[in-house]
Amino acid sequence: MRPRAHALLTAIVLAAAAGPCLAAGAAGAPAVTHYVLDAAKSSLEFTFQQAGAQNKGKFTRFPVSFDFSPDNLAGSRLEVTVEIGSLDTGDQERDDTLRGADLFAVAKFPQAHFAASQFNKTAGGYEAIGKLTLRGVTRDARVPFTFRTADEHGVAAGYMSGKTTVRRLDFGVGQGEWKATDQVGNEVGVSFVLRLTATAH
Amino acid sequence: MAMRNTTHRWGAVAQLLHWLIVVLIIVQVTLAALAGDLPLGMKKLAMLARHKSVGLTILGLALVRLGWRQLNPTPALPQTLKPYERTLARFTHTMLYGLLFAMPLSGWMMSSARGFPVSWFGFFQLPDLVPKSQPLYHALVTTHQTLAVVLGAVVTLHVAAALKHHYVLRDDTLQRMLPLSTTTQGTKR
Repeated sequence: MRPRAHALLTAIVLAAAAGPCLAAGAAGAPAVTHYVLDAAKSSLEFTFQQAGAQNKGKFTRFPVSFDFSPDNLAGSRLEVTVEIGSLDTGDQERDDTLRGADLFAVAKFPQAHFAASQFNKTAGGYEAIGKLTLRGVTRDARVPFTFRTADEHGVAAGYMSGKTTVRRLDFGVGQGEWKATDQVGNEVGVSFVLRLTATAH
Repeated sequence: MAMRNTTHRWGAVAQLLHWLIVVLIIVQVTLAALAGDLPLGMKKLAMLARHKSVGLTILGLALVRLGWRQLNPTPALPQTLKPYERTLARFTHTMLYGLLFAMPLSGWMMSSARGFPVSWFGFFQLPDLVPKSQPLYHALVTTHQTLAVVLGAVVTLHVAAALKHHYVLRDDTLQRMLPLSTTTQGTKR
């Protein structure tokens, strides 16, 4: 075979092979899976500095809606709604104070909300880029997380976990005397371990 | 003034520890009283945080004090004491030492039982002594408060005895714990 004919043949074969792939990409990305929270097997916790010591708390109600596919990050969406009133630091007096007007102001702002529609693959997993609304203030937020799926007796489960830091004063959580950070730190660690289950849309 | 004790006089280290703890106990009572009247807020948190830090300081100083006492002679009680007075003096001193440990430890346990970890002036955090428990917390509040009343009673006895030695018996029992006095031999002035 002459070299020119050889090159032409190669080009045809490559085009034939690549064609279906390109067509699939153009026609539509892989479908995302819709997940909802398995509340009983999930936790959303926070740690904060109080009087120089590390203290812990958690939220017990925080519905999650997660549309996700590792192969279609562009089509993925995450929405988390946190019922602030469900906070529990293990101390009634402290919980009541946290719900009060100068801190979370639950009566006026019963929910916090995180919505992300941009996802990046990172070395350790993924990063959700979106907006966090807390106490009526909305700010950009990036939340790193890991995600893995498991087939559990026919149920498609997703395990999502990660942690991030929120500066409470950025959101006005702390008015009046609570703006001071010497007894209650500004930085609040937030960590989550979620079990999600796949459902139909 | 010598650093170490003699059989007649408290040395500088023992005196420093004694008076430092006196000052810190006054700080403790003041902070507790002030914080007790406040609603939960930043001021109350700050005062209780200091109360805990000072309490831990006293606990540390009490350990140092007990150690120093072991390594030094203890000035003898005045010869003039009647047997029951000796017993009473020993009882008072034992109670005072015991309370220097019992007060901070019961307070520390109280914080642990409530689920509020304790830190020393924000420099480091201490482990929880007991698990979080509401009934235990209430029991420890009662314990801590009762011990405070006992401490008040024993301190009153201790101070009254020191003043009696100084003004009535006119011996140097009080003076040998005072830095600037030039006392000598643990006998009559």
